Amino acid sequence: MFFTVTMSLLEGFLGTLKLFILTLVLSLPLGLFISLGSMNKNIMVKGPIRFIIWVVRGTPLMLQLLIIYYGPGIFFGVPLWGGGTDGRFMAALFAFVFNYACYFSEIFRGGIQSIPVGQYEAAAVLGMDKKQTFFKIILLQVVKRIVPPISNEVITLVKDTSLARVIAVYEIIWNGQSFIKSSGIIWPLFYTGVFYLLFSGLLTLLFSYIEKRLDYFR
Amino acid sequence: MPILEVKNLKKCFDKTDILKGISFDLEKGQTLSILGSSGSGKTTLLRCLNFLEKPDAGEIVVNGETIFDRAKPVTEAQIKSNRLHFGMVFQQFNLFPQYTALENVVLAPKLMASADKYPEIIEMGKNLLNKMGLSDRMNNYPHQLSGGQQQRVAIARALAMSPDILCFDEPTSALDPELTGEVLKVIKELAIGNTTMIIVTHEIGFAHDVSDQIIFMDDGVIADRGTPAQVIDNPSNPRTRQFLSNYHS
Ligand SMILES: Nc1ncnc2c1ncn2[C@@H]1O[C@H](COP(=O)(O)OP(=O)(O)OP(=O)(O)O)[C@@H](O)[C@H]1O
Ligand SMILES: [Mg+2]
Repeated sequence: MFFTVTMSLLEGFLGTLKLFILTLVLSLPLGLFISLGSMNKNIMVKGPIRFIIWVVRGTPLMLQLLIIYYGPGIFFGVPLWGGGTDGRFMAALFAFVFNYACYFSEIFRGGIQSIPVGQYEAAAVLGMDKKQTFFKIILLQVVKRIVPPISNEVITLVKDTSLARVIAVYEIIWNGQSFIKSSGIIWPLFYTGVFYLLFSGLLTLLFSYIEKRLDYFR
Repeated sequence: MPILEVKNLKKCFDKTDILKGISFDLEKGQTLSILGSSGSGKTTLLRCLNFLEKPDAGEIVVNGETIFDRAKPVTEAQIKSNRLHFGMVFQQFNLFPQYTALENVVLAPKLMASADKYPEIIEMGKNLLNKMGLSDRMNNYPHQLSGGQQQRVAIARALAMSPDILCFDEPTSALDPELTGEVLKVIKELAIGNTTMIIVTHEIGFAHDVSDQIIFMDDGVIADRGTPAQVIDNPSNPRTRQFLSNYHS
Protein backbone atom coordinates (compact mmCIF):
# COMPACT_ATOMS: atom_id res chain seq x y z
CA MET A 1 0.00 0.00 0.00
CA PHE A 2 2.72 2.43 0.96
CA PHE A 3 4.36 1.95 -2.40
CA THR A 4 1.09 2.46 -4.31
CA VAL A 5 0.35 5.62 -2.36
CA THR A 6 3.86 6.97 -2.87
CA MET A 7 3.69 6.38 -6.62
CA SER A 8 0.29 8.04 -6.83
CA LEU A 9 1.45 11.04 -4.81
CA LEU A 10 4.57 11.32 -6.93
CA GLU A 11 2.38 11.46 -9.99
CA GLY A 12 0.25 14.15 -8.35
CA PHE A 13 3.41 16.00 -7.41
CA LEU A 14 4.35 16.15 -11.08
CA GLY A 15 1.16 18.15 -11.63
CA THR A 16 2.15 20.45 -8.75
CA LEU A 17 5.64 20.82 -10.19
CA LYS A 18 4.36 21.58 -13.67
CA LEU A 19 2.14 24.38 -12.37
CA PHE A 20 4.96 25.67 -10.15
CA ILE A 21 7.62 25.80 -12.86
CA LEU A 22 5.42 27.24 -15.59
CA THR A 23 4.10 29.90 -13.20
CA LEU A 24 7.64 30.95 -12.25
CA VAL A 25 8.99 30.99 -15.78
CA LEU A 26 6.12 33.14 -17.03
CA SER A 27 5.42 35.39 -14.05
CA LEU A 28 8.99 36.58 -13.42
CA PRO A 29 9.41 38.29 -16.82
CA LEU A 30 5.79 39.46 -16.80
CA GLY A 31 6.39 40.87 -13.33
CA LEU A 32 9.44 42.83 -14.53
CA PHE A 33 7.33 44.21 -17.37
CA ILE A 34 4.52 45.21 -15.00
CA SER A 35 6.99 46.83 -12.59
CA LEU A 36 8.37 49.00 -15.40
CA GLY A 37 4.79 50.05 -16.21
CA SER A 38 4.07 50.81 -12.57
CA MET A 39 7.10 53.15 -12.50
CA ASN A 40 6.15 54.93 -15.73
CA LYS A 41 6.06 58.72 -15.44
CA ASN A 42 2.77 58.88 -17.32
CA ILE A 43 -0.15 58.57 -14.91
CA MET A 44 -2.29 57.06 -17.71
CA VAL A 45 0.08 54.08 -17.77
CA LYS A 46 1.00 53.93 -14.11
CA GLY A 47 -2.54 54.49 -12.78
CA PRO A 48 -4.33 51.51 -14.35
CA ILE A 49 -1.39 49.20 -13.64
CA ARG A 50 -1.25 50.17 -9.97
CA PHE A 51 -5.03 49.67 -9.82
CA ILE A 52 -4.78 46.15 -11.24
CA ILE A 53 -1.96 45.30 -8.82
CA TRP A 54 -4.11 46.52 -5.97
CA VAL A 55 -7.06 44.35 -7.04
CA VAL A 56 -4.93 41.26 -7.59
CA ARG A 57 -3.06 41.60 -4.32
CA GLY A 58 -6.19 42.59 -2.44
CA THR A 59 -8.31 39.53 -3.23
CA PRO A 60 -7.78 35.82 -2.47
CA LEU A 61 -6.10 33.77 -5.16
CA MET A 62 -8.78 31.11 -4.73
CA LEU A 63 -11.44 33.64 -5.71
CA GLN A 64 -9.37 34.70 -8.72
CA LEU A 65 -9.12 31.07 -9.84
CA LEU A 66 -12.90 30.65 -9.68
CA ILE A 67 -13.61 33.95 -11.45
CA ILE A 68 -11.09 33.29 -14.22
CA TYR A 69 -12.35 29.76 -14.79
CA TYR A 70 -16.10 30.27 -14.51
CA GLY A 71 -16.31 34.01 -15.29
CA PRO A 72 -16.17 33.92 -19.08
CA GLY A 73 -18.98 31.35 -19.27
CA ILE A 74 -21.21 32.97 -16.65
CA PHE A 75 -20.82 36.61 -17.63
CA PHE A 76 -20.26 36.41 -21.38
CA GLY A 77 -21.68 33.01 -22.29
CA VAL A 78 -18.24 32.02 -23.59
CA PRO A 79 -16.80 29.05 -21.66
CA LEU A 80 -13.32 30.09 -22.69
CA TRP A 81 -11.38 27.28 -21.08
CA GLY A 82 -13.56 24.30 -21.98
CA GLY A 83 -14.31 21.62 -19.42
CA GLY A 84 -11.33 19.33 -20.10
CA THR A 85 -8.23 18.72 -18.01
CA ASP A 86 -6.09 20.90 -20.25
CA GLY A 87 -8.55 23.77 -20.20
CA ARG A 88 -8.72 23.72 -16.41
CA PHE A 89 -4.95 23.64 -16.19
CA MET A 90 -4.66 26.59 -18.57
CA ALA A 91 -7.16 28.59 -16.51
CA ALA A 92 -5.26 27.81 -13.32
CA LEU A 93 -1.92 28.70 -14.94
CA PHE A 94 -3.36 31.99 -16.18
CA ALA A 95 -4.60 32.88 -12.70
CA PHE A 96 -1.31 31.92 -11.03
CA VAL A 97 0.87 33.74 -13.54
CA PHE A 98 -1.18 36.92 -13.29
CA ASN A 99 -1.32 36.80 -9.50
CA TYR A 100 2.37 36.10 -8.98
CA ALA A 101 3.46 38.58 -11.65
CA CYS A 102 1.72 41.30 -9.64
CA TYR A 103 3.49 40.29 -6.43
CA PHE A 104 6.85 40.02 -8.21
CA SER A 105 6.33 43.39 -9.89
CA GLU A 106 6.10 45.06 -6.49
CA ILE A 107 9.29 43.33 -5.38
CA PHE A 108 11.08 44.46 -8.56
CA ARG A 109 9.78 48.00 -8.14
CA GLY A 110 10.98 48.11 -4.56
CA GLY A 111 14.37 46.75 -5.59
CA ILE A 112 14.87 49.15 -8.47
CA GLN A 113 13.68 52.18 -6.51
CA SER A 114 15.92 51.34 -3.56
CA ILE A 115 19.08 51.93 -5.61
CA PRO A 116 20.44 55.35 -4.61
CA VAL A 117 20.26 57.97 -7.34
CA GLY A 118 23.99 58.58 -6.75
CA GLN A 119 24.73 55.27 -8.51
CA TYR A 120 23.04 56.50 -11.69
CA GLU A 121 24.77 59.86 -11.43
CA ALA A 122 28.21 58.34 -10.87
CA ALA A 123 27.71 56.18 -13.95
CA ALA A 124 26.46 59.14 -15.98
CA VAL A 125 29.44 61.39 -15.21
CA LEU A 126 31.73 58.53 -16.24
CA GLY A 127 30.09 58.61 -19.64
CA MET A 128 28.03 55.44 -19.40
CA ASP A 129 24.77 55.30 -21.33
CA LYS A 130 21.45 54.04 -19.94
CA LYS A 131 22.01 50.47 -21.07
CA GLN A 132 25.52 50.23 -19.65
CA THR A 133 24.34 51.80 -16.40
CA PHE A 134 21.52 49.30 -16.01
CA PHE A 135 23.45 46.17 -16.92
CA LYS A 136 26.87 47.04 -15.44
CA ILE A 137 25.84 48.95 -12.32
CA ILE A 138 22.19 48.63 -11.34
CA LEU A 139 21.08 45.09 -12.19
CA LEU A 140 23.29 43.12 -9.81
CA GLN A 141 22.52 45.47 -6.92
CA VAL A 142 18.80 45.00 -7.58
CA VAL A 143 19.18 41.22 -7.77
CA LYS A 144 20.99 41.17 -4.46
CA ARG A 145 18.21 43.13 -2.80
CA ILE A 146 15.32 41.13 -4.21
CA VAL A 147 16.62 37.60 -3.64
CA PRO A 148 15.22 37.30 -0.08
CA PRO A 149 11.68 38.56 -0.87
CA ILE A 150 11.58 36.58 -4.14
CA SER A 151 12.61 33.47 -2.24
CA ASN A 152 9.68 34.03 0.15
CA GLU A 153 7.22 34.30 -2.71
CA VAL A 154 8.59 31.24 -4.46
CA ILE A 155 8.17 29.10 -1.36
CA THR A 156 4.65 30.44 -0.89
CA LEU A 157 3.96 29.46 -4.50
CA VAL A 158 4.92 25.84 -3.79
CA LYS A 159 2.11 25.65 -1.27
CA ASP A 160 -0.33 27.87 -3.18
CA THR A 161 -0.40 25.42 -6.09
CA SER A 162 -2.76 23.31 -3.97
CA LEU A 163 -5.41 26.01 -4.49
CA ALA A 164 -5.76 24.88 -8.11
CA ARG A 165 -7.82 22.05 -6.72
CA VAL A 166 -10.89 24.34 -6.54
CA ILE A 167 -11.20 24.12 -10.30
CA ALA A 168 -10.32 20.42 -10.32
CA VAL A 169 -6.73 20.67 -11.48
CA TYR A 170 -4.89 17.49 -10.54
CA GLU A 171 -2.07 18.01 -8.11
CA ILE A 172 -0.69 16.16 -5.14
CA ILE A 173 -3.38 16.97 -2.56
CA TRP A 174 -6.06 15.91 -5.00
CA ASN A 175 -4.39 12.55 -5.32
CA GLY A 176 -3.88 12.22 -1.57
CA GLN A 177 -7.49 13.02 -0.88
CA SER A 178 -8.74 10.48 -3.39
CA PHE A 179 -7.57 7.66 -1.08
CA ILE A 180 -10.18 8.71 1.49
CA LYS A 181 -12.95 7.84 -0.93
CA SER A 182 -11.35 4.85 -2.63
CA SER A 183 -9.70 3.08 0.33
CA GLY A 184 -11.04 4.83 3.41
CA ILE A 185 -7.58 5.91 4.59
CA ILE A 186 -6.56 9.47 5.46
CA TRP A 187 -2.80 9.12 5.99
CA PRO A 188 -1.95 9.58 2.28
CA LEU A 189 -3.36 13.10 2.56
CA PHE A 190 -1.09 13.86 5.52
CA TYR A 191 1.79 12.19 3.74
CA THR A 192 1.62 14.85 0.98
CA GLY A 193 3.13 17.27 3.53
CA VAL A 194 6.43 15.41 3.29
CA PHE A 195 6.63 16.18 -0.42
CA TYR A 196 6.00 19.89 0.16
CA LEU A 197 8.55 19.96 2.97
CA LEU A 198 11.27 18.26 0.96
CA PHE A 199 10.71 20.47 -2.05
CA SER A 200 10.62 23.74 -0.13
CA GLY A 201 13.70 22.59 1.77
CA LEU A 202 15.48 22.15 -1.54
CA LEU A 203 14.43 25.63 -2.66
CA THR A 204 15.57 27.14 0.63
CA LEU A 205 19.00 25.62 0.09
CA LEU A 206 19.12 26.94 -3.45
CA PHE A 207 18.21 30.47 -2.41
CA SER A 208 20.63 30.58 0.49
CA TYR A 209 23.34 29.48 -1.93
CA ILE A 210 22.45 32.38 -4.24
CA GLU A 211 22.43 34.79 -1.28
CA LYS A 212 25.87 33.56 -0.25
CA ARG A 213 27.21 34.03 -3.74
CA LEU A 214 26.09 37.68 -3.60
CA ASP A 215 27.51 38.20 -0.13
CA TYR A 216 30.81 39.64 -1.35
CA PHE A 217 29.46 43.19 -1.63
CA ARG A 218 27.07 45.41 0.26
CA MET B 1 42.66 81.10 -23.72
CA PRO B 2 40.96 79.83 -20.54
CA ILE B 3 40.23 76.11 -20.38
CA LEU B 4 36.74 76.88 -19.08
CA GLU B 5 34.42 79.82 -19.62
CA VAL B 6 31.03 79.89 -17.97
CA LYS B 7 28.77 82.62 -19.25
CA ASN B 8 25.63 83.84 -17.53
CA LEU B 9 24.52 80.40 -16.34
CA LYS B 10 21.00 80.29 -14.90
CA LYS B 11 18.99 77.55 -13.29
CA CYS B 12 15.67 77.55 -11.52
CA PHE B 13 13.81 74.80 -9.63
CA ASP B 14 10.05 75.08 -9.25
CA LYS B 15 10.10 78.73 -10.34
CA THR B 16 12.73 79.64 -7.72
CA ASP B 17 15.92 81.02 -9.22
CA ILE B 18 18.82 79.03 -7.79
CA LEU B 19 21.58 80.22 -10.14
CA LYS B 20 20.98 83.80 -11.22
CA GLY B 21 23.58 84.30 -13.91
CA ILE B 22 26.96 82.83 -13.06
CA SER B 23 29.98 83.85 -15.12
CA PHE B 24 33.61 83.02 -14.51
CA ASP B 25 36.57 81.49 -16.24
CA LEU B 26 39.39 79.21 -15.28
CA GLU B 27 42.89 78.80 -16.70
CA LYS B 28 44.37 75.41 -17.44
CA GLY B 29 46.18 73.88 -14.48
CA GLN B 30 44.56 76.18 -11.95
CA THR B 31 42.48 75.38 -8.93
CA LEU B 32 39.25 77.21 -8.23
CA SER B 33 37.52 76.86 -4.88
CA ILE B 34 33.90 77.78 -4.40
CA LEU B 35 32.78 78.89 -0.95
CA GLY B 36 29.34 79.91 0.19
CA SER B 37 26.65 79.21 2.69
CA SER B 38 24.28 76.29 2.47
CA GLY B 39 21.71 76.64 -0.29
CA SER B 40 23.69 79.26 -2.21
CA GLY B 41 23.77 77.03 -5.30
CA LYS B 42 27.28 75.55 -5.25
CA THR B 43 26.18 71.95 -5.86
CA THR B 44 23.72 73.06 -8.52
CA LEU B 45 26.54 74.85 -10.35
CA LEU B 46 28.75 71.72 -10.39
CA ARG B 47 25.80 69.59 -11.46
CA CYS B 48 25.14 71.92 -14.39
CA LEU B 49 28.77 71.63 -15.50
CA ASN B 50 28.46 67.82 -15.42
CA PHE B 51 25.11 67.86 -17.24
CA LEU B 52 23.36 66.29 -14.27
CA GLU B 53 21.10 69.35 -14.43
CA LYS B 54 20.16 71.24 -17.53
CA PRO B 55 20.78 74.99 -17.20
CA ASP B 56 17.91 77.26 -18.18
CA ALA B 57 20.21 79.81 -19.78
CA GLY B 58 23.86 80.45 -20.45
CA GLU B 59 26.86 78.94 -22.10
CA ILE B 60 29.67 76.57 -21.15
CA VAL B 61 32.83 76.79 -23.24
CA VAL B 62 35.72 74.35 -22.86
CA ASN B 63 38.99 74.99 -24.71
CA GLY B 64 37.21 77.50 -26.90
CA GLU B 65 34.56 74.96 -27.90
CA THR B 66 30.99 75.69 -26.84
CA ILE B 67 29.77 72.48 -25.23
CA PHE B 68 26.56 73.92 -23.91
CA ASP B 69 24.49 76.75 -25.24
CA ARG B 70 20.90 76.95 -24.13
CA ALA B 71 20.08 78.68 -27.41
CA LYS B 72 21.34 75.66 -29.38
CA PRO B 73 19.95 72.37 -28.03
CA VAL B 74 22.16 69.29 -28.20
CA THR B 75 21.42 65.59 -28.61
CA GLU B 76 21.72 62.90 -25.93
CA ALA B 77 24.87 61.56 -27.65
CA GLN B 78 26.52 64.99 -27.64
CA ILE B 79 25.77 65.39 -23.93
CA LYS B 80 27.39 62.03 -23.33
CA SER B 81 30.64 63.04 -25.03
CA ASN B 82 30.58 66.66 -23.78
CA ARG B 83 30.27 65.71 -20.14
CA LEU B 84 33.56 63.82 -20.39
CA HIS B 85 35.31 67.19 -20.32
CA PHE B 86 34.38 67.16 -16.63
CA GLY B 87 35.01 64.69 -13.86
CA MET B 88 33.00 64.63 -10.67
CA VAL B 89 33.81 63.56 -7.13
CA PHE B 90 30.71 63.35 -4.97
CA GLN B 91 30.25 64.08 -1.30
CA GLN B 92 28.91 60.53 -0.77
CA PHE B 93 31.65 58.87 -2.93
CA ASN B 94 29.06 56.83 -4.91
CA LEU B 95 31.44 53.95 -5.56
CA PHE B 96 29.94 50.88 -7.23
CA PRO B 97 29.64 48.37 -4.36
CA GLN B 98 29.90 45.21 -6.47
CA TYR B 99 33.29 46.15 -7.90
CA THR B 100 36.71 46.24 -6.24
CA ALA B 101 38.63 49.50 -5.94
CA LEU B 102 40.55 48.72 -9.12
CA GLU B 103 37.44 47.62 -11.01
CA ASN B 104 35.69 50.85 -10.01
CA VAL B 105 38.56 52.80 -11.55
CA VAL B 106 38.87 50.85 -14.81
CA LEU B 107 35.21 50.01 -15.50
CA ALA B 108 34.26 53.11 -17.48
CA PRO B 109 37.55 53.41 -19.44
CA LYS B 110 37.24 49.74 -20.44
CA LEU B 111 33.69 50.28 -21.68
CA MET B 112 35.02 52.89 -24.10
CA ALA B 113 38.01 50.92 -25.36
CA SER B 114 38.62 47.78 -27.37
CA ALA B 115 39.79 44.63 -25.59
CA ASP B 116 43.40 44.98 -26.69
CA LYS B 117 43.63 48.22 -24.66
CA TYR B 118 42.55 46.53 -21.40
CA PRO B 119 46.07 45.74 -20.09
CA GLU B 120 47.08 49.38 -20.56
CA ILE B 121 43.93 50.58 -18.82
CA ILE B 122 44.48 48.27 -15.88
CA GLU B 123 48.07 49.46 -15.62
CA MET B 124 46.82 53.06 -15.57
CA GLY B 125 44.24 52.18 -12.91
CA LYS B 126 46.92 50.65 -10.70
CA ASN B 127 49.13 53.72 -11.13
CA LEU B 128 46.31 56.03 -10.17
CA LEU B 129 45.51 54.01 -7.05
CA ASN B 130 49.21 54.01 -6.16
CA LYS B 131 49.21 57.77 -6.43
CA MET B 132 46.24 57.83 -4.07
CA GLY B 133 48.22 55.75 -1.57
CA LEU B 134 46.01 52.70 -2.07
CA SER B 135 48.44 50.19 -3.56
CA ASP B 136 47.50 47.60 -0.91
CA ARG B 137 43.75 48.19 -1.26
CA MET B 138 43.19 47.62 -4.99
CA ASN B 139 41.31 44.38 -4.61
CA ASN B 140 39.12 45.43 -1.71
CA TYR B 141 35.43 46.12 -2.15
CA PRO B 142 34.12 49.55 -1.14
CA HIS B 143 32.49 48.27 2.07
CA GLN B 144 35.92 47.03 3.17
CA LEU B 145 37.40 50.53 2.91
CA SER B 146 37.26 53.53 5.24
CA GLY B 147 35.46 56.65 4.07
CA GLY B 148 38.74 58.37 3.31
CA GLN B 149 39.94 55.40 1.27
CA GLN B 150 36.63 55.24 -0.59
CA GLN B 151 36.86 58.91 -1.48
CA ARG B 152 40.40 58.42 -2.77
CA VAL B 153 39.18 55.55 -4.97
CA ALA B 154 36.47 57.89 -6.24
CA ILE B 155 39.11 60.49 -7.10
CA ALA B 156 41.15 57.87 -8.97
CA ARG B 157 38.00 56.76 -10.79
CA ALA B 158 37.32 60.32 -11.94
CA LEU B 159 40.95 60.83 -12.98
CA ALA B 160 40.91 57.63 -15.03
CA MET B 161 38.66 59.34 -17.57
CA SER B 162 41.31 62.10 -17.99
CA PRO B 163 38.84 64.95 -17.66
CA ASP B 164 39.90 68.48 -18.59
CA ILE B 165 38.42 69.77 -15.35
CA LEU B 166 37.88 67.76 -12.17
CA CYS B 167 35.02 68.89 -9.93
CA PHE B 168 34.70 68.10 -6.22
CA ASP B 169 31.48 68.63 -4.28
CA GLU B 170 32.43 68.87 -0.61
CA PRO B 171 34.75 65.86 -0.90
CA THR B 172 35.41 65.67 2.84
CA SER B 173 32.03 66.60 4.31
CA ALA B 174 30.97 62.98 4.82
CA LEU B 175 34.25 62.10 6.54
CA ASP B 176 35.35 61.99 10.16
CA PRO B 177 37.85 64.78 10.92
CA GLU B 178 40.74 62.32 11.15
CA LEU B 179 40.04 61.05 7.62
CA THR B 180 39.63 64.50 6.11
CA GLY B 181 43.37 65.12 6.08
CA GLU B 182 44.28 62.16 3.90
CA VAL B 183 41.80 63.22 1.22
CA LEU B 184 42.83 66.88 1.31
CA LYS B 185 46.42 65.74 0.97
CA VAL B 186 45.82 63.94 -2.34
CA ILE B 187 43.80 66.87 -3.67
CA LYS B 188 46.66 69.16 -2.77
CA GLU B 189 49.08 66.91 -4.64
CA LEU B 190 46.81 67.12 -7.68
CA ALA B 191 46.87 70.91 -7.40
CA ILE B 192 50.65 70.89 -7.28
CA GLY B 193 50.64 68.55 -10.29
CA ASN B 194 48.60 71.15 -12.22
CA THR B 195 45.30 69.28 -12.46
CA THR B 196 42.59 71.76 -13.35
CA MET B 197 40.06 71.61 -10.52
CA ILE B 198 36.90 73.19 -9.18
CA ILE B 199 36.42 72.43 -5.50
CA VAL B 200 33.29 73.20 -3.52
CA THR B 201 34.39 73.09 0.09
CA HIS B 202 33.81 74.36 3.59
CA GLU B 203 37.50 73.85 4.45
CA ILE B 204 38.45 77.50 4.17
CA GLY B 205 42.05 77.07 5.30
CA PHE B 206 42.54 74.35 2.71
CA ALA B 207 40.94 76.47 -0.03
CA HIS B 208 43.24 79.34 0.88
CA ASP B 209 46.19 76.99 0.69
CA VAL B 210 45.61 75.30 -2.68
CA SER B 211 43.54 77.71 -4.76
CA ASP B 212 44.57 80.10 -7.47
CA GLN B 213 41.11 81.57 -7.51
CA ILE B 214 38.26 81.74 -4.98
CA ILE B 215 34.61 82.35 -5.72
CA PHE B 216 32.24 83.23 -2.94
CA MET B 217 28.65 82.41 -3.84
CA ASP B 218 25.67 83.94 -2.14
CA ASP B 219 22.06 83.29 -3.02
CA GLY B 220 22.73 82.17 -6.60
CA VAL B 221 25.18 84.88 -7.58
CA ILE B 222 28.95 85.30 -7.39
CA ALA B 223 29.32 87.79 -4.57
CA ASP B 224 33.09 87.83 -4.54
CA ARG B 225 35.82 86.54 -6.78
CA GLY B 226 39.59 86.78 -6.73
CA THR B 227 42.77 85.33 -5.32
CA PRO B 228 42.70 83.78 -1.84
CA ALA B 229 44.49 86.88 -0.58
CA GLN B 230 41.73 89.10 -1.96
CA VAL B 231 38.66 87.06 -1.06
CA ILE B 232 39.67 85.33 2.14
CA ASP B 233 42.23 87.65 3.71
CA ASN B 234 40.69 90.97 2.70
CA PRO B 235 37.04 90.41 1.79
CA SER B 236 35.47 93.58 0.48
CA ASN B 237 31.93 92.24 0.24
CA PRO B 238 30.03 92.46 3.56
CA ARG B 239 28.40 89.04 2.97
CA THR B 240 31.79 87.43 2.44
CA ARG B 241 33.12 89.10 5.57
CA GLN B 242 30.16 87.82 7.56
CA PHE B 243 30.57 84.29 6.14
CA LEU B 244 34.27 84.28 7.01
CA SER B 245 33.89 85.83 10.44
CA ASN B 246 34.01 82.45 12.15
CA TYR B 247 37.12 81.50 10.22
CA HIS B 248 38.95 84.70 11.03
CA SER B 249 38.11 84.74 14.72
N1 LIG C 1 16.39 69.00 -7.65
C1 LIG C 1 16.00 70.09 -6.95
N2 LIG C 1 14.70 70.43 -6.92
C2 LIG C 1 14.30 71.54 -6.24
N3 LIG C 1 15.13 72.35 -5.57
C3 LIG C 1 16.44 72.06 -5.56
C4 LIG C 1 16.94 70.92 -6.25
N4 LIG C 1 18.29 70.86 -6.08
C5 LIG C 1 18.59 71.93 -5.30
N5 LIG C 1 17.50 72.64 -5.00
C6 LIG C 1 17.47 73.88 -4.20
O1 LIG C 1 18.44 74.74 -4.73
C7 LIG C 1 19.06 75.49 -3.69
C8 LIG C 1 20.57 75.39 -3.85
O2 LIG C 1 20.96 74.05 -3.60
P1 LIG C 1 22.45 73.56 -3.70
O3 LIG C 1 22.43 72.13 -3.37
O4 LIG C 1 23.02 73.96 -5.02
O5 LIG C 1 23.14 74.43 -2.55
P2 LIG C 1 24.61 74.28 -1.97
O6 LIG C 1 25.21 75.63 -2.11
O7 LIG C 1 25.31 73.14 -2.60
O8 LIG C 1 24.31 73.98 -0.43
P3 LIG C 1 25.08 73.03 0.60
O9 LIG C 1 26.26 73.81 1.13
O10 LIG C 1 24.08 72.77 1.66
O11 LIG C 1 25.49 71.79 -0.13
C9 LIG C 1 18.54 74.94 -2.38
O12 LIG C 1 17.59 75.85 -1.87
C10 LIG C 1 17.88 73.65 -2.76
O13 LIG C 1 16.78 73.40 -1.95
MG1 LIG D 1 25.97 71.25 -1.91
